[in-house]
Amino acid sequence: MLADLWAAYQSSVGFAMVNVFFALSTYAVLSAGVLSFASVSYAAFGGFIGAQLVLNTGISPLLALPVSAVAGALLAYAVALLFLRLDGHWMALASLALVLMTRVVVLNAPTLTGGVNGLSLPVDLSLATLTVLLLLLMLVFHRLSGSWYGIAVRAVREDPAVAASLGMPARRLQTIAFVISGAVGGAGGMLLAAMLQFISPDTYFINIAFTMIAAVVLGGSYHWAGAVAGAFVFTALPVVMQAVLPQIQDVANGAALLAIMVFLPRGLIDPRAWRLRHAR
Amino acid sequence: MLLFVEQLVNGCALGSLYALFAVGFGLVFATLGILNAAHGTYASWAAIAALAAVQHLGAPFPLAVAAGVVAGGLLALLVDQIAFQPLRGRGGPAKEGGMLGALITSIAFWIMLDSLAGFATGQQSLNFPADSYPARMLHLGALPLPSMQLVTIAAMLLATAGIHALVRHSRFGAAMRAVGWNGAAAALGGVNPRVVIVVTAFLAGATSGLAGVLGGISTQNVSFTLGEGLMLKGFAAVVVGGYDDVRGAAIAGVALGILEVMSAQYLSTSLRDGITYALLLGFLLLRPRGLFGRAAFLRA
Amino acid sequence: MRGDGDTPALLELDGVGKSFGGVAAVADLSFAVPTGSVMGLMGPNGAGKTTVINLITGLLGFDRGHIRFDGAEIGGAAAHRIAARGIARTYQNVRLFSGMTALEQVLAGGFLRRGTSLIASFLGTPASRAARARSLAEARHLLDRVRLAHRADVLAETLSYGEQRRIEIARALGAHPRLLLLDEPTAGMNAAESAAIGGLVHELRDAGLTVLMVEHNVRLVTDFCDHVAVMSFGRKLTEGTPAACLAHPEVQAAYFGRSGDAERIRALR
Repeated sequence: MLADLWAAYQSSVGFAMVNVFFALSTYAVLSAGVLSFASVSYAAFGGFIGAQLVLNTGISPLLALPVSAVAGALLAYAVALLFLRLDGHWMALASLALVLMTRVVVLNAPTLTGGVNGLSLPVDLSLATLTVLLLLLMLVFHRLSGSWYGIAVRAVREDPAVAASLGMPARRLQTIAFVISGAVGGAGGMLLAAMLQFISPDTYFINIAFTMIAAVVLGGSYHWAGAVAGAFVFTALPVVMQAVLPQIQDVANGAALLAIMVFLPRGLIDPRAWRLRHAR
Repeated sequence: MLLFVEQLVNGCALGSLYALFAVGFGLVFATLGILNAAHGTYASWAAIAALAAVQHLGAPFPLAVAAGVVAGGLLALLVDQIAFQPLRGRGGPAKEGGMLGALITSIAFWIMLDSLAGFATGQQSLNFPADSYPARMLHLGALPLPSMQLVTIAAMLLATAGIHALVRHSRFGAAMRAVGWNGAAAALGGVNPRVVIVVTAFLAGATSGLAGVLGGISTQNVSFTLGEGLMLKGFAAVVVGGYDDVRGAAIAGVALGILEVMSAQYLSTSLRDGITYALLLGFLLLRPRGLFGRAAFLRA
Repeated sequence: MRGDGDTPALLELDGVGKSFGGVAAVADLSFAVPTGSVMGLMGPNGAGKTTVINLITGLLGFDRGHIRFDGAEIGGAAAHRIAARGIARTYQNVRLFSGMTALEQVLAGGFLRRGTSLIASFLGTPASRAARARSLAEARHLLDRVRLAHRADVLAETLSYGEQRRIEIARALGAHPRLLLLDEPTAGMNAAESAAIGGLVHELRDAGLTVLMVEHNVRLVTDFCDHVAVMSFGRKLTEGTPAACLAHPEVQAAYFGRSGDAERIRALR
């Protein structure tokens, strides 16, 4: 019975873990006060480069993973250089535009991406490997949040002007945040490719962008654990809804998302709320 | 040469749809600070409402358009009051401008309204009956001018001019800009932000609705994909045109429409989207705040 | 460079001007803050005092003139670089970071003195851990100095207004500045709290800190400032000892005339 359940939902658990990568990629910049959808573009870049590397050299996807991460980080660094001078609203718009362009680029670069036909990637990625990678990633974010970088980006997010008058270089810190976001997003793109064993222009598109940001905000954008929780909840939600309300699962998904945001606007995991309770 | 002019008119008509979408989207973004992912669904639902008015009530063309426009506006108002109103005044880090929560609730409505639109049309693409809209072909010399295209362009010009006049040259527009700049300060200045919010939401939904009805007729497609298509291109128009001036969004929308038609005619159909987004990238790099964009300054 | 008397000036404003959309917020403003002194900046609301603080800290750029800190031009430098030179500030409306405890606020104030690189801090090298321990001890010490040690682990936004102001001062001290800019440090405080702030300012001066404070409280200015500049409509009205400034007829009119009498204040020009 339990084994059946596991067999049925095993892949959902795998996708949830990959989604944690995407959510943490989005969280990395959001935690520095920047709303950006560009994680999708890093994922596409990392995914296609990693896939090509595996297909052409036959190396294990695990060895391609660092290459994907570096590719994503480089793209993110370029995005940071170009877009960080924009104010918050424009940054969000520009990054969304970048996502739209990513699909067009993928479609028109068939030698790298397979164009409309996509790429199939016959590799195996065990759930155990994925779990280890995820734990490593969580360790990185845990260390980051307690480090001076973590303290400074929190300050920059809450009040950039005050942070600057305490000597914190906001632009530089946000550039670091972008590079982290790019590395995590690029790696996530490779892992998604390995999970799906097939990627196409539609794999990395606007729906992932919205899914990522919704997962982070749903889980709580003030702590990295929120992104992790949000990715799991957001992956589980459609699965549960399909089992419970198959007729109207999309409507139920939307309604659940709406209800959580209205009643828990700071997300499921909110360190400030804990502290407020602690203070009483 | 004739073909060129003909395609120019085609491009203007197509671009007018993008422009209408962009004007409403930009209005909400500038005034209410909301990146509204559900904005495209208003167009789908307006087209569905207009089609229903034609099929079930036998409404003539102007009334069908009006029904769609009002439906789009009311839907936008409903979404605003359910999805955005509860989040107002809760604050958040200044730089995100309270944008996050509203973005997520708008995504929630996007998912729901798209899915419900799928149910409403039976998961297929519906058509307006051929006799329900002006289908006559006018002629200017040798140039054929489909009257529906002229109606579309005229509707866009009227809507843009009207909204521009409202925002820039009326007291209410001053109030809208004040709310966009700083809601709390606007309230102190005797502006009722609540009224501004309601009117802005309705206007935005109505323009999106207008684009939906006209687009539903001219593309022969009434379904949830109507709004999605408008959203992807209309959004590009917002970025190119800038969101703080409706004229910029309108001009950019028309320009994108012309570009799209021309590149399909003279270059290649497959490059069509590529050219649009290459232009988008160029604007992001060279003129990142849009055609009429002003430099933003750091708020001390 | 000489400031008042024969004490060298730590901060010098020289013909500084700043307009917002054609309206001059600060015009041709010059004054100097002598090293090791407490200087007061007075003036009616809207005189441009906070703008001056924003110009000095680089939060706003200015249109003309020079601002020199310790003899070097700082005009046009980015805010975080000016902070790194040794200028710290507080805000007229308290601006603490939401979601941080009192201790975390003050710890964040010690960013410039963290004594370790961001990477070492992420990796948790032994040296960086020792540096962090020092930073924490320093933050606790500063909280103690503003008599809030017992509130260290409380979310700062739940504290009283006066307590929040003191945390802001402790946060500003975290970087060990040479010049501290206080923007109305006693606004909204009762007499006892105000006097405590004044006492703290004197302690800091005696420890070698130079202070420039925007202050409305005439009592506090006379008791605690060595030197005062008075502004009106973006210009300097007068400058000198507190007693001399307060005796100035135009200052008398501005401060003790009918309050809110716009005509009369305008006549001061």
